[in-house]
Amino acid sequence: MSAPAIIQTIYDSGIAEWMRQSLKAMPFVEAAHVLAIATVFGTILIVDLRLLGKAGAHRPFGVVSREMLPMTWVAFGAAVITGALMFAPNAITYYGNTAFRLKMLALVLAGLNMAVFHLLTGRSLTWDTNARSPAPARVAAWLSIALWLTIIFLGRWIGFTKGYDFTVPEDVQFEFPQ
Amino acid sequence: MFEFARWLGSSPLSIGIQSVSWLTPLLQAIHIVMIGIVFVSVLMIVLRIHGRVRADEPFIRTWERFAPWLWTALSVMAATGLVLIIGEPVREATALSFWLKMILIAVAVASVLGLRRAVAGVAGPVIPPATRHAAKLVLLIWILIIFLGRAIAYDVEVWRSLSLVHHA
Repeated sequence: MSAPAIIQTIYDSGIAEWMRQSLKAMPFVEAAHVLAIATVFGTILIVDLRLLGKAGAHRPFGVVSREMLPMTWVAFGAAVITGALMFAPNAITYYGNTAFRLKMLALVLAGLNMAVFHLLTGRSLTWDTNARSPAPARVAAWLSIALWLTIIFLGRWIGFTKGYDFTVPEDVQFEFPQ
Repeated sequence: MFEFARWLGSSPLSIGIQSVSWLTPLLQAIHIVMIGIVFVSVLMIVLRIHGRVRADEPFIRTWERFAPWLWTALSVMAATGLVLIIGEPVREATALSFWLKMILIAVAVASVLGLRRAVAGVAGPVIPPATRHAAKLVLLIWILIIFLGRAIAYDVEVWRSLSLVHHA
């Protein structure tokens, strides 16, 4: 099955049709997405700042990481679900949107950065209680902050570049300043 | 109020903001980054009151760790929010969600400070259930603020006949 065919299937799915028909679903899904991404970013920032020794450096890295990362994963799961609900009703437009593609790329890079850190640097925590972690860990922290900021910025850019795929309800009266 | 919003929307400052195409998305993105810092700072304070994080240190250490981040990020949000309002004053003034959000922000800030006072008055390490319940409520208020913020763009869809669009 080719990529455009998969996108078309998603677009034609029942849930996509339901999202297109419901006037109220989108604002709630979008708000939940903001809440989820805010939690992802905020909790990861706490871990990154700890790695950099810039905040909360008196606590062992392992303790900070064990406290934060379960919340990060739950919030990330919520962001994926709400993101999928936003993607499906407008799948064809999203698929062709550059900001959306770059955001997905940045997400993959953020995931790779995290995987490399956990498999290599984070494996033996001999530096657990050091205020400042080793150079590779600090590089991973800066990369993480940069990538998540990029993801949030691109996410907002999608909304301004994707165009719209719905009709304005007929009873809405718009008034513009003269 | 609607008259003022219309006047502001046609002012050179507002038109200047509207004419820079990248400014609104940039400010909104900064606004969302700051939501992350504000919300998670409040979350940490609330979870500490429940003993779910940082139970190895006194509450005041958690407060001192997160309060400066909370207030700084909130100030940045006020600044970016103000420019966004000047850029689209009619959209904000005619959104019921916007006014509810402003009221709830005042309540939320006061309630976080109230939590701080309540915990400071506790003798011993155990925080009473009433304060713990209040902490949950404070978190809920901040979540509502995030929802109302997004709902500004959908005022008629969310509020139907209650939307102020019908009165402008």
